[in-house]
Amino acid sequence: MALEYKDYYEVLGVARDASKEEIRRAYRKLAREYHPDLNQDSDAEERFKEVGEAYEVLSDPSKRERYDRLGSQWRAREQTSAGASFEDFFDRQGFDDHVRVEFGDGVFSEFFERLFGEDAARAGSGPLRGRDREAVLELSLEDAVAGGRRRLSLEDGRILEVNIPAGVREGQRIRLPGKGGAGRDGGAPGDHYLQIRLKPDPRFRRRGDDLDVDLAVAPWEAALGATVSVPTLTGTARVRVPPGSSSGRRLRLRGRGLPKQAGGHGDLHAIVRIMVPKHVSEQDRRLFEKLADESDFDPRQGQG
Amino acid sequence: MSAPRRRSRALQPAPADAAEEQPVELAVIARQAGVRVSVVRHYVAFGLFERCSGSNEVPLFEPSCAGRLAKAERLRRDLGLNYAGAVLACELVDRIRELEQQRGQDLPTA
Repeated sequence: MALEYKDYYEVLGVARDASKEEIRRAYRKLAREYHPDLNQDSDAEERFKEVGEAYEVLSDPSKRERYDRLGSQWRAREQTSAGASFEDFFDRQGFDDHVRVEFGDGVFSEFFERLFGEDAARAGSGPLRGRDREAVLELSLEDAVAGGRRRLSLEDGRILEVNIPAGVREGQRIRLPGKGGAGRDGGAPGDHYLQIRLKPDPRFRRRGDDLDVDLAVAPWEAALGATVSVPTLTGTARVRVPPGSSSGRRLRLRGRGLPKQAGGHGDLHAIVRIMVPKHVSEQDRRLFEKLADESDFDPRQGQG
Repeated sequence: MSAPRRRSRALQPAPADAAEEQPVELAVIARQAGVRVSVVRHYVAFGLFERCSGSNEVPLFEPSCAGRLAKAERLRRDLGLNYAGAVLACELVDRIRELEQQRGQDLPTA
């Protein structure tokens, strides 16, 4: 990237003749506003660094003087000759007496390091660990129960392969040591936390650690009893529908729910839903009519 | 009110790295955060975090306290706060995050 002139006064929003006190006040206000531990916006960290760099220069009289000299010459130059790049101008000003081999992704910009040398930043107060980051990882209920390896792309574009343990729970946090923000002055990187969120499932409704699932049965299965298949998070199971099961009856499949915090699993409840054919065939109609004629069952008995 | 002994659900260890999720001594937290033990003691005195197990003589802490400690220390250094101010800032930020999550303004998705 080409070297660009940075207007530190503009960064802090102060006049060129601002006093030390004005500069400090502006810096403190902006530092509070953009501190990455306080502000979650994606560009807050970049702004915070910029503000810190501006303050580093403008709060130090000798750096400020050197910076001002460069700035006034650049502005004078801009007015007289259009088209010259700042990089060319900068190299001809004799400011480039600090030689750097390579520009890394240090705390300060290339502009700062070209102007003052890479070691010009005031010594910090010692190494400090980097910021912990956090993101939400949405999992299907099946994936939460089964676990497995996942490739994730983080906000900053990094791709991670993560081992999701089997049986993670809603709200549980998985720690990825050292995958957070970079440390300061040689400090260790922070950690990255993944907060588990369970995606709503079209079939299974969650009630704490228990799950509900609808179990469609035919009227005769409900009346006579049957063994039918029911979906679970780990495949299909068989459940016995006892004779005389009306809609809403809950059939419990013990331990087929979500993992519990204390260990073990919740239950899966298959809820009987009696289904009838939408289009009744001639034969079915005869049979239902016969049943209607001959049965003395009154589902509304006792309902007034 | 006594400090909660139970390990919080949010910090339930993943089996893969269970070994490193064991509670650790203050010196380990300090080293991991890059903060001097004497400084950590100030933060503990102001209630930045509490011991999760161990005894009063040898208190033990969640490893995740290192992240919280480093955050408080960054805020203190960067914004010119004192210890009480840094602890307060951490608590307020946690509270804001909680409220944002309740309102559905969620964390970024991995």
